[in-house]
Parts: sequence; C-alpha cells; structure tokens
Amino acid sequence: MTRCVMKSTDSSICSDVIAKTVFCGIVCITCFLSAHAADGDTDTEAVVRPVTAAYTVEAGTSHLADTYLTPLKYSGWSMGLGYERMQAMRFDPERWVMQLKLRVEIDRTENPVRNAVMWYGGVDFSWGMMYRWRNILPNLTIGAGGAARMDLGCLYNARNGNNPASARAAVTVGMTGYVAWQTRLWRIPVTLRYQPALPVVGAFFSPDYGELYYEIYLGNRSGLAHCAWWGSYFAMENLVTADMHFGATSVRIGYRNNTQSARVNNITSRHITHCAVIGVAGEWISLARGRGIPSRTRIVTALY
Amino acid sequence: MMLLMILFSACHEIEEWANDPRGNFDALWTIIDEHYCFFAEKNVDWDEVYVRYSCKVSDKMTGEELFAVCSDMLNELRDGHTNLAAPFDVSYYRAWWSDYPQNFDRRLIRQYYFNFNYLTAAGMDYGILPENVGYMYYGSFSSTIGEGNLDYILSYFSTCDGLIVDVRDNGGGDMTNVGTLVSRFIGQRTLAGYISHKTGPGHDDFSEPYAYYYDPAPQGRVMWGKPVVVLTNRSTFSAANNFVSVMKQLPGVTIVGATTGGGSGMPYSSELPCGWSVRMSACSVLDASGNTTEQGIDPTEGCAVDMDPLSAVDGRDTMLDFAVNILTR
Repeated sequence: MTRCVMKSTDSSICSDVIAKTVFCGIVCITCFLSAHAADGDTDTEAVVRPVTAAYTVEAGTSHLADTYLTPLKYSGWSMGLGYERMQAMRFDPERWVMQLKLRVEIDRTENPVRNAVMWYGGVDFSWGMMYRWRNILPNLTIGAGGAARMDLGCLYNARNGNNPASARAAVTVGMTGYVAWQTRLWRIPVTLRYQPALPVVGAFFSPDYGELYYEIYLGNRSGLAHCAWWGSYFAMENLVTADMHFGATSVRIGYRNNTQSARVNNITSRHITHCAVIGVAGEWISLARGRGIPSRTRIVTALY
Repeated sequence: MMLLMILFSACHEIEEWANDPRGNFDALWTIIDEHYCFFAEKNVDWDEVYVRYSCKVSDKMTGEELFAVCSDMLNELRDGHTNLAAPFDVSYYRAWWSDYPQNFDRRLIRQYYFNFNYLTAAGMDYGILPENVGYMYYGSFSSTIGEGNLDYILSYFSTCDGLIVDVRDNGGGDMTNVGTLVSRFIGQRTLAGYISHKTGPGHDDFSEPYAYYYDPAPQGRVMWGKPVVVLTNRSTFSAANNFVSVMKQLPGVTIVGATTGGGSGMPYSSELPCGWSVRMSACSVLDASGNTTEQGIDPTEGCAVDMDPLSAVDGRDTMLDFAVNILTR
C-alpha cells in the first residue's frame, strides 16, 4: 500500500516535472519565435506594389454584321478610350497579378454600297487574375489566368423602321495571359507585351429570331438570356503593346484586335475591330499620409 | 498562324449574295421567305412565286427592270406593309385600298361641319357638332399624343352627349399612341390582343401568342365614359387598325363606316446587296379574341355605311351623319 503510495507520489512528481518542462519549452520557443519575428520586422524588405496604369486612345477599322438588322456586312471606323490597371496582388505579389480593363467604343460603319450607316456604341469591363512566371527567360515574364468580363452595347441602323437597334449584353468568364519582354530600343527601355483574352463561358442577350423590341417593351421577356459558349458566342481580344519608358511615365503604342461572333435563335452577329493604340502609362505608388517608402523596399511591378 | 485559324474558324457564317440582278433577286426572295409572317393567311405559295419570277431575271437587266420584277413579286403578298425602296421608287401594293371607295373628305368636314372653326392639338382636329356631339379627327398615329392634350380635349367635350373618334385615312404610326388614346376609354386593365413573332426561318415557326394589356390612364387624368363612335374606312390601316380592334371590344363603343384596311403585321426592315431596303410584315398582332385582323375589321353589325358621293356634293358626310344619329337617338 505504502509502496503504492510512493509510486503514486513518484508518478505525480514526474508529471509535474514533465509539465514544467513542456511549459518552459513552449515559453522558450514562443520567446525565440517572438524575438526572431521582431528581428524579422526590422530586417525584412517592405513589399511595394506599384500600380501600372494606362490611359489609351484607339482608332482603326470596324466590321459589323447583325442579321437581326441586315444580312449585309458593314465596314467603317472604330474609336475608343481605354483604361487599364495592373497590380501585383497583396497575398503573393511575386506570382499573382490582377488586371482591370475598361473601354468605351464607338463605331461608324457603312454597307457595301455605302448608302446606309450603322453605328455601334459600347462599353466593356473586365477584371482578371493571372499567375506569372517572372524572368522565365532573361527579361521575359509570362502570365496566365482568368478574367470576368462584361460587355454592353447597341447597334443602331437608322434605315430600319421597327427594328432599328440591336442591343448587346454579355457577361463571361474566360482565359487570359500575357508575355512581357523587357528590352531597349535606341537606349530607351521598352516593355513589349502580347496579351490575348478568350471568354469561355457566360450568358448573353439576344431577342428571338423575328421578335421586335416592342414586344419586349410590352412585357414579353422570356428567352432573352442565352448560355454563352464557343458554339454560340465566341470572342477574343488580342492586345500588343510597347511601353517606352521615360522615367516614371511611359508612352504606350500598340494594336488591339477584338473579334466577337455570336449565333443564337438563327441570328448571327459579328463585330471585328483592328485598332492602333496610343496612350500614356505609368507606375504609381500609393503612400499613406506622413509615411514615405521604407528604407528597405522591394518593388514588385505588375507587368514584368 | 494558329491564332488566325482560331479567329476565322470561330466566326459564324453569314449567308451572302452577289450584288448583281440574280443575287439581289435571290436575297429579296430569301429575306421574305424567312421573315414574312402571313404566307398561310394569304395562301401564298412562295416557292411557286420564285419559279414564276426567277425566270424574269437576267444579268443584263437594268436596275429599274429588276425593281419592276421584284415589285411585282412582292405584290403577290397583297400586303400594304411590304415595300421595296430604291433611290428612284418605292414599291407599294395599293389595291388594298385603291379597290375600295375612299369614304372620306377631310375638307368637307372642316368646311361644312365646322366652317373652318375647329381646334387642333397633337395632330387632332376637334370641335363640337351642332347636335352636341364631340368630334375628333386623328389622321396619323405617328402624331404623338400628349396626356395634357387629351385632358384638354376630353374636358372640352365634357358637356357633350357622345364622342366621335374619326380615324378614316389614318395609315397608322406608333403603337404606343394607340395605348395612350385607348387608356382614356377603359376603366380597368384590358386585354388588348396578342403578338406572335417568327422564331425561325420556317413558314410555320411562330412563338406562342403573347397577351398584352392596356391600363387606364393614371388617376387624375380626364377619362371618357359616354358613348363613343369610331369612324373607319378602308384606309384605316396598321396601328389605326389595331386601335379599332381594341376599341371594338369595349362597351359603349360602336364602329361605324367601312371595313378597315388591316395591316396587322408589324413591319420588319432589311436590305439587299445593292442597298435597296425592304420592309415586310414580320410579327402578327392578333385581336383580343386571338384572331388575325390582317384582312381588316368589319364595322359593328348594322353600322356598315359608305359616304354617298351625291350627298358629299351637298356638303354632307353620310358616314359622319350616321355616327351622329347613333349618338343622339
């Protein structure tokens, strides 16, 4: 019995020792980690993620077709204003980048015999995220990811009576990516980029084959939304830019091709533009009031 | 290269025609074939029409000659809403009204009934006849009717025993004006009719008729609850025809005159490779009973009346007099 008690006492003492040891160990590890972390706070580089923003003007040719309005293909000019914003993402700035694009476009086209005019006015907006591989080759960065996109617009053909307009509306998600190469052109640093964007799936608007908008106005709104996939709705954007860097500001020149083709309810529409792009781009850093750039800073640019 | 292949293969095909007489003829025939909505009602065999007219097309014919062939082909549809417009002419099927008496002389009414002392607002001539009957002439539904205009006109008629709405020679216009005018004669939400559109290029590809309704004018607007006569002739067409079809079902409304001209197909526009524009009936508007009114709407039973030319010489519009008698008897 005594023995048993003794045993019990020994066991209790052992448990206390173990508990104290473990406690001390946790405290030590915590203190060590805290100290290490404190050291890190003073030694680690601050990550600064400048915003690459570009304002562009676009001009070029437009090719429009919409069998709801006319069986003929119209051609003319296209003009647009664009805004693009790219920034490395906070959670993993080395590898992930976000991109926001907004564009306003107006086209004026004529039929083949040039006795009728069709206008297009529209706006498109997209937001995407891309994973990137920086310097996969010297000065070469590639990225790939996805983007959500919204297109709103309207075609207007003045010669038509009860069907003068055809609305465009689409919400899609798709693939996008880019290749960026840093080089020099006559001693000027230049960033060349090619970026395609390819919507994959979504929804888009179309009236029925012979449905007039008056019927929609009367309240018949069934069957206006359609699933967008490559068989019914194909769109692709190809953007090539060259940013010539002059200090913090760059001059952007480039080329944009937009292709959109849809077929639903026996209505086929097509919209193709080829535009020259010119604008200004720059990398800007937002700083909190009263706080400058930390002494040890690592700048992670968006594009390359 | 691969990118270009993707781009071009992804674009959906669009049928094209050559810009020559044959191509333009085929384009016109196909556009009508795929969009026109009254082949069955009019018992038109469009394939047979192609065979009959196609042989008249040759590559050496002039634009005017091609236009004549195309116009004759369109006239096979016997449709006042179907036209071909070229820089030098607009084809137009006129027999729907030219084969009937005109039954209307606007000057006669202005001169002999109002001695040119009538009022005009929102495209309407209006005044009070000696029998204490209000009279308004609405010549085109393209003339926008303002709610304030209607308030004033109906208030002006407030002491009258009845109202004549004359839509003779009204060739139609904007359907929204039909709703605006009808809204003063209904006390509750009213089934106005149905609309059915093509769902594909086949002759029988139609949507289920969609019911549409007109609501009474908003509270505070001047309404009309006394007897109404709507005066019609064969040239009452399109939106005016629709107005008559809606009014005819309302209590207290009598349709007087001649069968209207029809034109219940809402027009749809397209064009040919040569730039000529074409218009055709594409959406069928049915009356509240679900019946087509493309062939016209008959007057209320016992109210069919023509204008007597001899009485017109004496300054009397026998159709208008008939309407006044209905409202004052």
